[in-house]
Amino acid sequence: MRPARTLVLSAALGAGLAATLWAQQFKFNLDHLEGKATEHVDLSLNSSMLTFASKFLDGKDPDEAKAKKLIGGISGIYIKSFEFKDDGGYSQADLDKIRSQLKAPEWGRMVGIKSGAEGENIEVWVRMESGKVSGIAILASEPRELTVANLVGNIDLESLADLGGHFGLPKMKKK
Amino acid sequence: MDWLEQELAQALARKEPAAGFDARVRARLNRRPQWLAIAATVLVMLGVGEAWHVRQQEGQLAKEQVMTAMRIAGGKLNRVQTHLKGTGQ
Repeated sequence: MRPARTLVLSAALGAGLAATLWAQQFKFNLDHLEGKATEHVDLSLNSSMLTFASKFLDGKDPDEAKAKKLIGGISGIYIKSFEFKDDGGYSQADLDKIRSQLKAPEWGRMVGIKSGAEGENIEVWVRMESGKVSGIAILASEPRELTVANLVGNIDLESLADLGGHFGLPKMKKK
Repeated sequence: MDWLEQELAQALARKEPAAGFDARVRARLNRRPQWLAIAATVLVMLGVGEAWHVRQQEGQLAKEQVMTAMRIAGGKLNRVQTHLKGTGQ
């Protein structure tokens, strides 16, 4: 009887944890854009992948050391980024489908910027749990570029922005 | 005892092995495990080396993916930060 009870309890805890993690993530619903994009990046790194990767990050390299420290609090990174040859490669509905999943009270839009000259829009959404950041979502769109990122876990936004400032434009995967 | 019994008795009679037979058998028995051990060790080392190589490649790939993710997400946050600093917020 005892092993059966333990099994049920473990399953319930596992399901609870999975449900919590699932709630921190959202569905991208952007697979249909892959055919239209000239270049795209699709990254899906779960907790075990991040732990594995952190073993290969060089603590002596300043950027890699920062990345290593950052992913210590992150349990998942999911990114889709597309570049299109012409304007209109994606629709406003694609963005709305994602926005509709970022609901209060867990999710709140922290900041949104609009750059008129380049037609760039970036929204940063934050998920809070017990007063702590438990996930962020970034929606960045330009006329010919769309990037959606979901980072799950406790993220140091300042360090991440600082790290992003050190790098040039990332090389995208050619289709 | 007829001739058949005599033939059989002769054929099945105990014969002493040639001189040095015992030493040759012992030497061969001692030699074989050494070669087997060496061959097994080489195979294990090759297997371990290959597994290590594959793991290194997978690790490098995972590292590159993490760094690319950081570049993309961090780059966008940095754009926001720069924009906000520019507008004095």
